[in-house]
Amino acid sequence: MTVLRINGEDHDVDVPPDMPLLWVLRDVIGLTGTKFGCGIAQCGACTVHLAGKPVRSCQLPVSVIGGNEITTIEAIGGTPEGKRVQEAWLALDVVQCGYCQSGQIMSAAALLAQTPQPTDADIDAAMSGNICRCATYVRIREGIHQAASGRPLGLQVIVDGERP
Amino acid sequence: MKKRWKRVLIALPVVLVIGAGAYAWLNRTDPADGKAPSLAGAPPSSDPVARGEYLTRAADCIACHVTPGGKPFAGGLAFKLPFGTIYSSNITPDPDTGIGRYTDEEFVRAVREGIRRDGKHLYPAFPYTSYTELSRADVLAIKAYLFTLPKVRQPNRENDIGFPFNQRWAMGFWNAAFFRSHRFEPDANRSEAWNRGAYLAGALAHCGECHTPRNIGFAMSKGSLLAGETVNGWRAWNITSDATHGIGAWPDAAVAQYLSTGHADGRGTAGGPMGEAVDHSLQYLDAADISALVTWLRTVPAKEGKDPVVVDAGAPGLRASNELLPGSDPSASDMGRQLFAGACASCHQWNGPGRQTPQAGLAGTRGVNDPSGANVVGIILEGVSMRVRDQDIYMPAFAQTFNDAEVAALANYVVHHFGGKAGTVTPAEVAKRRAE
Ligand code: FES
Ligand code: FES
Repeated sequence: MTVLRINGEDHDVDVPPDMPLLWVLRDVIGLTGTKFGCGIAQCGACTVHLAGKPVRSCQLPVSVIGGNEITTIEAIGGTPEGKRVQEAWLALDVVQCGYCQSGQIMSAAALLAQTPQPTDADIDAAMSGNICRCATYVRIREGIHQAASGRPLGLQVIVDGERP
Repeated sequence: MKKRWKRVLIALPVVLVIGAGAYAWLNRTDPADGKAPSLAGAPPSSDPVARGEYLTRAADCIACHVTPGGKPFAGGLAFKLPFGTIYSSNITPDPDTGIGRYTDEEFVRAVREGIRRDGKHLYPAFPYTSYTELSRADVLAIKAYLFTLPKVRQPNRENDIGFPFNQRWAMGFWNAAFFRSHRFEPDANRSEAWNRGAYLAGALAHCGECHTPRNIGFAMSKGSLLAGETVNGWRAWNITSDATHGIGAWPDAAVAQYLSTGHADGRGTAGGPMGEAVDHSLQYLDAADISALVTWLRTVPAKEGKDPVVVDAGAPGLRASNELLPGSDPSASDMGRQLFAGACASCHQWNGPGRQTPQAGLAGTRGVNDPSGANVVGIILEGVSMRVRDQDIYMPAFAQTFNDAEVAALANYVVHHFGGKAGTVTPAEVAKRRAE
């Protein structure tokens, strides 16, 4: 039995030590908000936080997690950065099909927690590993700037008639 | 004029006799059975087949006697040498295509002298140059184990080499010059563990076949034991006791961790051929045998070696970075940095400790501190796929993803950012590596 601390709750799971966390989350525990994209740490869809840091759960064997706290998309709204990112995402309609977006939000929240006012270059460096087939990259960048600054950006400025 | 010819005619047989005598003397077989130190993982009291299995692992026979996806021990692996390609042989007990008809005597001669059943010479790609030190009892234990394996009917592939290298008899002259049949001699002034480590490294694991520089005759140059060599484009690092260029500064525990798991924190992760050695062989060795190997390695004379690498664990790029961001580094190549951001940072991180698993750690490794970028290029192209101690260690291969210019830019960026050195990888070199 392995005990995993996920979103503030302990989960007893009976899984092989080499099982990647993503499988435990989705298939064993039923937290399906975290997505499977590539399985080889190349797309970012499966990003969760381990002790506050973003990790690709598809390549994270449960045996290396230990007692570290895991946060998934289901609970990221409970952190200040996660909440601001989700609000900005809604305001800007960042999401297209949505498949990559759990991962995008987890990576964005981690970036803001570490670098509260990221530049475009920072966003590129921290977010390039999160791939979006719908190419929402422009709105992702705006979303992160909006979450960081609290000021409305993008098309909503025209729609809502506000000036940045 | 006539007189001179007469003299030549008299001298010729003399020269021939002396030459033949010298040839025979240099090619003499050491008749001793040899006595091996007792290994922790294969004590003499244990069942010969179990002992043989352990020794077969320690000698890493499978490394060469299988093709990717092929039947174990059925051979067929290609060795691309400067003068052509040779293929490893089937060592399953199949009587027609394998070694099923080998007597004990014939098997011992093949392993320790490099002469196969029909009396022809084997090429030293088969490391009889190291296995010659094995005791007869150990060779026969290996045979006993191999003879319990399923017989695989798979004819050996013809070598693809031209004249004169296809003349196997000529290897007799190579042997006369570079090979001495001999058994392991324990050093009475050293500890039991040291002797065990020496036997493990020299006779079984044949570390020197990759890590010892080759001389012009392509033989291991004895004076530079384990000082580092390049094999098929991969650098087999200097693992002498040199503190700067070898592994002299590694704590014992780090060396043991590296050998038994393929990774030492902050120092390196095995990939390429060394990854295979850990995957197939070293991870299965008893902890006491690993520690004996470490004991022996500590005493290998310090050497600087060819193209020495000096690790800079505090390279400027590393110091400027945190795990999510690279910091400002105006001298870095844009292409390399962009590729790293997209394909690499999510596992390796900008400051290099490794995100999901410590095996992905880049900081402090020799690979990223080597301006030639040899092993960085190898890993980018081939990736890593091994299973160590019930854990998959995996990195995708990027050979199909990136073109030569991209691989070169990425490798040079990695060397610049993590090692603080100017990488010298060119697209042409990458193209060459792909063909290797
Ligand atoms: S599913 Fe994990 S990175 Fe793609
Ligand atoms: S929104 Fe569709 S993949 Fe990103």
